[in-house]
Amino acid sequence: MQKKRSVLELAVQAGEILLENGAEVFRVQQTMEIMAAAYGAEEFHVYVLTNGIFASMAEDGVNHVARLENVPQASVHLGRIDSVNTLSRKIAQGNVPMEEAFEELERIRMIPVLSLPLQMLACGAGSAFFALLFGGKWPDFFCAFVAGLLLQVYLWNADKHKTNKIITRLVGAALVTAVAGVCMLLGVGNDMDKIIIGSIMPLVPGIALTMAIRDFFNSDYLSGTIRMIDALIIGLSIATGVGAVLGFASMVLGVQL
Amino acid sequence: MTFVDYLYQLFVSFWGTVAFGILFHVPPKQYVACGLTGAAGWLVYVAMMQAQPSTVMASLVAVLPLTALARLFATRRKAPITLFLLCGIFPLVPGAGIYYTAYYFITGQTTQTMIKGTETIKIAGALALGMVLVLGMPSKLFQPFHKAQEPTK
Repeated sequence: MQKKRSVLELAVQAGEILLENGAEVFRVQQTMEIMAAAYGAEEFHVYVLTNGIFASMAEDGVNHVARLENVPQASVHLGRIDSVNTLSRKIAQGNVPMEEAFEELERIRMIPVLSLPLQMLACGAGSAFFALLFGGKWPDFFCAFVAGLLLQVYLWNADKHKTNKIITRLVGAALVTAVAGVCMLLGVGNDMDKIIIGSIMPLVPGIALTMAIRDFFNSDYLSGTIRMIDALIIGLSIATGVGAVLGFASMVLGVQL
Repeated sequence: MTFVDYLYQLFVSFWGTVAFGILFHVPPKQYVACGLTGAAGWLVYVAMMQAQPSTVMASLVAVLPLTALARLFATRRKAPITLFLLCGIFPLVPGAGIYYTAYYFITGQTTQTMIKGTETIKIAGALALGMVLVLGMPSKLFQPFHKAQEPTK
């Protein structure tokens, strides 16, 4: 009966990878059910929340329960979600030995994140292009690029030290606002608003909002609510970060930005 | 807006979306699809803003083709729709709204704060509504034509 415990283990591991890297609840649940069914699990039940998986499976008429709680996802890695998705398609078609599936999951877990310089470039480019998109000019493009580079360095370090998410967003927003302010004072920037809006984009709760909607749509109201509150709090902390720097500049330094 | 302006908007929104795709570790072979999804939504948004002044209305209309395209890519390229939807929606997310709300709040312009705050919430709602509308369409519409296969996830 070693085999059947492995089915549960496999499904839970796959679900864990999906959830950690930012998949919506419905996908996690569906993928786990597909995997379990493909390996002939009986009485497989699973309940998924944004930060936990509860799964059970019958074995010789006895219920075995596995419960798993994982940390709220730290970073989004869509590549891993894609890989698990591909694996589950293969499993559903059959012909994937259990051992192989476990090895594949282990490999997916190890898919690396991009190196810091690459992440900085991506973050900088994203910020810069969005500054343009919202009506900035080329000077704003370069200021937002610099702000994005610095922001990613901070986010990288914050992630490494497991800094509180609210604080991270707040400080991140304050950081890019300060960079934008300095750019304006140096006379490099053209429109401070555009620089700030462009470079807070990496912080903006676009993901939380989108996932909340996906969860609501699939009737996972509880998870949707959790993500909606997440989006709201992220939004508030960004606003506070930006506001704090603007307020500090005008009240203490006497600079009208 | 001239044709060149639209090309410029296409270029900028495409690369902006791709940059975020890279940041979220989208597999490289999906970069172009992500960029196209984001650019499609943004171009419709820009065109809508030319036709009428409401950002909420423009967001609602823009998210429709965006989500449809994301579904199409998901089915055709056998990848989770999340990949395309998450990156593609970024240009429409009310980041500017959040910023202006905070700015007016700090500078003590209460009326402006309320206006911008409400608008931001409305845009988020419009994005939600539009997405749900397209996601609720029968999946048959998004199947590739050449072969029958298992339903999209």
